[in-house]
Amino acid sequence: MIRDITLGQYYPADSILHRLDPRVKFVGTIAYIISLFLFHSWGYVLGALFLGVMILISKVPFKFIVKGLKSIMMLLAITMFFNIIFTPGEPVFQIWKIKITVEGLTFAAKMAIRLVFLIIGSSLMTLTTTPNQLTDAMESLMGPLKKLHVPVHEIAMMMSIALRFIPILLEETDKIMKAQMARGADFESGNLIQKVKNMVPLLVPLFISAFRRANDLALAMEARCYHGGEGRTQMKPLRYHSRDYAAYGILIGYLLVSAAFCILGF
Amino acid sequence: MSVKLEDVTYIYSPGTVYEMHALEHVNLEIPDGQFVGVIGHTGSGKSTLVQHLNGLIRPTSGHVFYRGEDIWQEGYDLRQLRSHVGLVFQYPEHQLFETDVLTDVCFGPKNQGLSPEECKERARKALSSVGVSEELYDKSPFELSGGQKRRVAIAGVLAMNPDFLILDEPTAGLDPKGRDEILDQIERLHKERGISILLVSHSMEDIARYVERIIVMNKGQVAFDGAPKEVFSHYKELETMGLAAPQMTYIMHALKEHGMDVDVTATTVEEAKESILFALKAREGK
Repeated sequence: MIRDITLGQYYPADSILHRLDPRVKFVGTIAYIISLFLFHSWGYVLGALFLGVMILISKVPFKFIVKGLKSIMMLLAITMFFNIIFTPGEPVFQIWKIKITVEGLTFAAKMAIRLVFLIIGSSLMTLTTTPNQLTDAMESLMGPLKKLHVPVHEIAMMMSIALRFIPILLEETDKIMKAQMARGADFESGNLIQKVKNMVPLLVPLFISAFRRANDLALAMEARCYHGGEGRTQMKPLRYHSRDYAAYGILIGYLLVSAAFCILGF
Repeated sequence: MSVKLEDVTYIYSPGTVYEMHALEHVNLEIPDGQFVGVIGHTGSGKSTLVQHLNGLIRPTSGHVFYRGEDIWQEGYDLRQLRSHVGLVFQYPEHQLFETDVLTDVCFGPKNQGLSPEECKERARKALSSVGVSEELYDKSPFELSGGQKRRVAIAGVLAMNPDFLILDEPTAGLDPKGRDEILDQIERLHKERGISILLVSHSMEDIARYVERIIVMNKGQVAFDGAPKEVFSHYKELETMGLAAPQMTYIMHALKEHGMDVDVTATTVEEAKESILFALKAREGK
């Protein structure tokens, strides 16, 4: 049932991409997304090649990567549809008042490729990085903002707590739902108002449990002298290794080639 | 034959990296009126097993029968089944939600379609049978102590008048006094109403004192199934499963090894006392 929903779609495996510093992966993903918007035509082959190599070395089965695309299929279809219909230019053929143009078709194709690559690229990051590593990376990368009095540590802490609580609350929901079903509760039938009413036996215990857990956590954190980010060290501080510098090198190389493609008009 | 599992296998998240075999080819039959204990280490599949008995989870393969009928056949009324097979979850007090104790206990009977008067009647009976006193009926369930909340939650399932009551670790987190009281009340229910009881626990002492049959789960399979004395005679194997026989079993085995002619199958303090006294008298008589 609810247990089947996996959030933060981390796929455990032992690959270079998994071991890479999360900051590199974060910056890399952003760089890759930028590169996708630099390309005109042949550049996409380079983008595909880069992505293909990354997928190969990530050791994540292709099946899992494609799974992420399912959710944007609708969006993709709508984008393509409107791009094809409403782009003015040289008409290929005409149905009633709708003109299908060459520009429209190429633009739609480009859009589709961009979106698909973008989703695959960023899901490759979430597949190889645990949510906790990701928040660590964000905290570290947003570090300079501290000078502008942005509560970077607090934001990162809230994010990791929220991430940690999602599976706990899901499990709790599943458990309470089953407990009430064992008492004859019905969560499926009835009209809308009936359904909302039937949710009460689920929502009340869930809220109470969420507040209790939050309270317990706050108490446990204070008992261990937590007082915010000031002077706080990390158990697993992020450190760059030689492979991370190499990865940055490859990224810069990739971005330079992409820029060259852009200038040359490919 | 009341409940029967036939070659039941259950897999969590099949086809993903998180795939886990919780139950593997489990065959079980629980006749009417039996008091059964299920023990097993954490993650041995106990909780998954009991959720199959009232149709809360559907086996990945295999069949579940209640009174000879397959509960997953087309058109079978699962809600009806759940009022016959009552399941009290672990920490059942977390499911309380109503504004007062009596209304909360009425939730089950109300879902069975009984009139408000009948519901209240059932609720009162259930509450008194688990020892909740009447002055608490109008209180909010959230004002009660942990042990009282637990009783109210158990009453919530009892009020549905099940023929078969399953309790998943009903004494977890209770003090020894509260634990004994709840277990005694469960035993009384078994004796007075003649309903079958299935008690999930990891405390051998609890189980040894009350049940007539023990099912030991290990890694999703039934490792042992039999009378307590018979199961505890495998105490060495139980240890390899991360379980232990009751303390009495160890004492009796140690005494036997030191040449005292005692009954090693004694599991309760009472039985052990009798057996030791008997052996001592026999020795004096020589």
